[in-house]
Amino acid sequence: MNFFGIFIGIATLFVIGLGFVWVIRGERYFGYLWWPYVMGLGILLVVGSLFLANDWASGMVGAIGASLVWGSTEFKEQAVRAELGWFPFREKKILPPGAGTIKKWPAPHL
Amino acid sequence: MSMMELNVTGLAAALAAFLGIWWGHVAVRIIEARLTDIRPAMIIAVLLGLGMWTGALLTSWMPLSAALGIFGVTLLWDGYEFYRQEKRIKIGHAPANPHNPRHARILAAYPSATTVDLLNRDPVGRPVDAEEAARLVAEH
Repeated sequence: MNFFGIFIGIATLFVIGLGFVWVIRGERYFGYLWWPYVMGLGILLVVGSLFLANDWASGMVGAIGASLVWGSTEFKEQAVRAELGWFPFREKKILPPGAGTIKKWPAPHL
Repeated sequence: MSMMELNVTGLAAALAAFLGIWWGHVAVRIIEARLTDIRPAMIIAVLLGLGMWTGALLTSWMPLSAALGIFGVTLLWDGYEFYRQEKRIKIGHAPANPHNPRHARILAAYPSATTVDLLNRDPVGRPVDAEEAARLVAEH
């Protein structure tokens, strides 16, 4: 019996659960235009996981990277949710470098 | 470790997590909108999740065990998401399907329920009231 997969599955559930928290807080204070940076960091983590020999470390870094990529696609809808009053709205955002350019790109959502 | 010995456990975990969350979101929304009773879908999702977990237990290859373990957990969560999606329909946070008799009953019983997907637009950077929210979606 190999319990590795079930344990990493349960750990991933907590990583995804944490995703709800940072997407909500991150959008509130920083705004959805950070999405390319979050997506890029997630992809870097997934690539980095290839170079970790330990299965637990590789698996968790990969799952955290995937959660960052998914979260980056949730930012835009979260910004709309806050505007609708479903979450607290904060007008002042700490914008990312290149915010003007990023705004012209279609923000991903799945 | 040389370049030839890349550990694909993390890549397998990442693909399973991303695709599991993505397809789970899409599948729950589509299936919940069409079913007149969500309970069979909840049971099937849980059984599929437990099936994936059984597979994770039985394989000794770590990347496959990780992928099945993560797919399993997303499917188990999807079982619960059918219930949460119905709650979103009731409060108007997800659009109701008026052609589904269960949703039609929700639309009749809950004034907050709506057929409009209020999230289907770009952010405008300020709070919007109900009237403007509907207009922004219509213009999108």
